[in-house]
Amino acid sequence: MLKVTDLKRHFKSGDSIVAAVDGVSLKIPDGQFVSIIGQSGSGKTSLLSLLGALDKPTSGSIEVDNQDITRVSGRELNRYRAKTVGFVFQSYNLVPNLTALENVMLPMEFLGLPKKLRLERARQLLEEVGLSADQMHRKPGKLSGGQQQRVAIARALANKPKYILADEPTGNLDSETGKLIFNLLHDLSKKEKTTIITVTHDLKIAGKTDTSFKLKDGKLAKGTDR
Amino acid sequence: MNWCSRGIRNAFRNLTRTFSLIIILGLSIGLSLAMFISHQAVTQKINNVKGSVDNTISIFPAGLRGFAGGGTPLTQSQLKSVSALPHVVQLNETLSDRLTSSDTNLQSAVSAGFLGRRFAGNGFGGNVKFTPPVTVNGTTSPTDLAVSAATTGGGSFSLLSGTVFSGTSNSNVALVGTGLASKNNLKVGSTFTAYGSNISVVGIFSSGTRFGDNQVVMPLLTLQRLSGETGDVTAATAYVDSVTNLASVTNKIKAVLGSAADITNSQQQAQNAISSLQSIQTISLYSLIGAVVAGAIIILMTMVMIVRERRREIGVIKAIGSSNLRISGQFMAEAVTLTIAASVIGILIGAVAANPITNMLVSNSNSSNSSAAANPGGGVFRQRRFSGAFGGLHHSFANIHAVVGYGIIGYGLLAAIIIALIGSSVSSYFIAKIRPAEVMRVE
Repeated sequence: MLKVTDLKRHFKSGDSIVAAVDGVSLKIPDGQFVSIIGQSGSGKTSLLSLLGALDKPTSGSIEVDNQDITRVSGRELNRYRAKTVGFVFQSYNLVPNLTALENVMLPMEFLGLPKKLRLERARQLLEEVGLSADQMHRKPGKLSGGQQQRVAIARALANKPKYILADEPTGNLDSETGKLIFNLLHDLSKKEKTTIITVTHDLKIAGKTDTSFKLKDGKLAKGTDR
Repeated sequence: MNWCSRGIRNAFRNLTRTFSLIIILGLSIGLSLAMFISHQAVTQKINNVKGSVDNTISIFPAGLRGFAGGGTPLTQSQLKSVSALPHVVQLNETLSDRLTSSDTNLQSAVSAGFLGRRFAGNGFGGNVKFTPPVTVNGTTSPTDLAVSAATTGGGSFSLLSGTVFSGTSNSNVALVGTGLASKNNLKVGSTFTAYGSNISVVGIFSSGTRFGDNQVVMPLLTLQRLSGETGDVTAATAYVDSVTNLASVTNKIKAVLGSAADITNSQQQAQNAISSLQSIQTISLYSLIGAVVAGAIIILMTMVMIVRERRREIGVIKAIGSSNLRISGQFMAEAVTLTIAASVIGILIGAVAANPITNMLVSNSNSSNSSAAANPGGGVFRQRRFSGAFGGLHHSFANIHAVVGYGIIGYGLLAAIIIALIGSSVSSYFIAKIRPAEVMRVE
């Protein structure tokens, strides 16, 4: 269970204070496919950053299995990012100098897995997301956008995280490839029993998720359960 | 692949930049190494010069110089306390006398000439038929003609035939100058008379001057015995272990002998020689520091630039669970790889450039000193002194040779790696400041 209570992220912009996230409270049960929708600047990405411990909230708490991640040390935060959450970014954010296989192996290195295990799991994950053996040894620059996003999903799944946080995962893809990537995420969430929280503009995608939250001006406008 | 191998691989990510950086950094390391080698060579030379050039102290009875002046001879018992002083490595003692026709059967090889007659007129009661006497030196160090320089002009001892007697001998033996030997048909094994005794010739030598080749050299004890001046010494030269101790030992000798002796040293000449070498040493040291700082700045700025360029990538790596330490280690590995690659080029440059740079520094310093010496503004005496000093200095400069050993290469590599680590550690600060949330922002 992910429980967010009165979460705020305010920052200064010139003389004024911007409330990117302003008192958000929500609960997400395990294994759900959740979408967060809202207009540009509504605070979706800021909320996702806070959930992934990429940013520190101004106030409030984020409890993951009864542990408040806003109060843990830097070392524990690194472990949280490596073990508990996996990220999928809109612009893929693969390390350009590493091959697809090495990109997927990277998060496993941070948990201290032996090289042999890392290699086996990375191969298996890349096969699952549909990359050929030849494509696995290519660097991101030699892969299409859809293939790069598949690698990013495999990387997010590498350490078998409890949560996958996806920021506009289909935003840079054409509608056909976007649909394939969404289906891939959906299937994986069911197969691996992973909670997926995705930020999206696409109402069609939002309509297919288990729960959808709408943000407006940093506040939670409404939540829809299906 | 771990953080270290990623760092090594990243070093060759952009080949054009890597090649340029390696060349620039290699030049800096090469210059550092050349300056370090040059500095080492000059430092070693300074130590050699300090240990060997003109580190002597001349001791004469007060008021006496050669056969001019007057005063009371020093005694060997007085000089014993001098040889016992710290830093005095050797003490050569001499008793000088002149053999006239009533003292010896030897005939002088030097004719009086105009100057001899003039000096005789002044010094020997106007005896215009004067024949220059034969100089005899009793010495504890027969091959050291410097100790009797005041009476015979010094010069360089060269044995032409026979052997050299022991400095502690008390036998009636002598070394005879080649001019005097020719004049008197003396060979090794011949005898001549002096002070009413027969003296055996054990060797014939050359001093390089006509006056010096007109002398007889005997053991000090022999001459003291024959001349009836037991224990007397008319000149002594103390050799000091290093020129840095010259002044202090001179003062100690003055304190020991008091007003009984006139004491002079070659401090000024030695200082002139060393100060010139020291200026080269300073130049090479400053150049070394400059080149090292330049190298450190090059690697530091490069690493800062690379970190700024890869902010997003660093943010991603942090976002997927890496620690700042691991990322810093990766960048350090990259910096060390670049530096080691540059060091290979730098070592080659340093090995090739060390000697030419040292020679250039030496020749520049030598020519500026020579021009300074050409007109020192101190009259004939000073000019001669300086010319002598720089003549010796030029000789010592000619022998400076920079040597590139494995030790120096090892030090160079170690220094380069330290520079790389320091340079990349600054970039770690920037790495720590990168917030992973930034990667969530779509560019």
